[in-house]
Amino acid sequence: MAGDKLDGVNPTRMELLNLKDRAKLSTKGHSLLKEKRDALIKEFFEILDRVQGSRDEVEKKLAIAYAELNKAQVDMGDMAVKRAALSVRESIELDISSRSIMGVSVPVVKSKATHNDLISRGYGFAGTSANLDIAAKEFEESIKIIIELGEIEKTIIMLAQEIEATKRRVNALEHVMIPRINNTISFIEMRLEEMEREQFVQLKVIKRNMDARDSE
Amino acid sequence: MKKDIAIMADPDTVTGFMLGGIKSGFPVHNEDEAKTTLKQLVDDNYSIIITTEHIGDELREDITKYTNSTALPMIIEVPDKSGSHKRETDPMNELIKRVIGVEMVK
Repeated sequence: MAGDKLDGVNPTRMELLNLKDRAKLSTKGHSLLKEKRDALIKEFFEILDRVQGSRDEVEKKLAIAYAELNKAQVDMGDMAVKRAALSVRESIELDISSRSIMGVSVPVVKSKATHNDLISRGYGFAGTSANLDIAAKEFEESIKIIIELGEIEKTIIMLAQEIEATKRRVNALEHVMIPRINNTISFIEMRLEEMEREQFVQLKVIKRNMDARDSE
Repeated sequence: MKKDIAIMADPDTVTGFMLGGIKSGFPVHNEDEAKTTLKQLVDDNYSIIITTEHIGDELREDITKYTNSTALPMIIEVPDKSGSHKRETDPMNELIKRVIGVEMVK
């Protein structure tokens, strides 16, 4: 018989019934998983559109920020910039929760950037240059979009993993489990028919022998 | 209490981000230092770790280990002062290729 079948299955009527149930369950599971996979991929593509824009934006923004930082460092000297940076007040509040896409929990980050103005930033005016203020502002804005980018990228990674796993399960069911069960079912059916025929022939032989004996 | 956000990068980048209001700055100078710092940060339960693409490439394995399969921490790689460098393998594209089966060039 073509294809491999399940191991250790006896060709009995009981097993046949069990297997038929299993086949039904597997097909149902298979179609469910397929739906899940398709939904995940749809979600995946939607987020993919967002990530590309975000990346570019971060890169552009950071390039400006670095340039401004560089100017400030030239103006004030490396150490002074570092000192100023150390005294800057924390500007970002994070609130991280998670939401679930088809059973995959992905992080949702709410960042609250309390916009520091010049005075509340925390470093003194004496000895700091105007470029430092610009740099600080640019970095504040960069950080905000970087966090958004991080959230999107993380979501993509989580979704990708789930899609991979689901795909594997769909394929395993489709190409291994379901054919195997079907093969076993037809094996048992053939075996049972064969046994029936055997029995039928046996009965015929016995009957003929009995008839022959009677007519003697 | 859960800590929030940390920056681990070369000293200049750290200075910049601290200027932007991140209080946990960890300047690193070489790969080994970056490796131990990253481990420390993950152990300390920082939820977002910003690092540079440069460091990210060197510590690819560790980052994958820490970030896969758990929602937190997020490790975000940003370009450093020299700008975004063209990577041989963009981890994002690689992932998409694996999942969808075709490369998506945009």
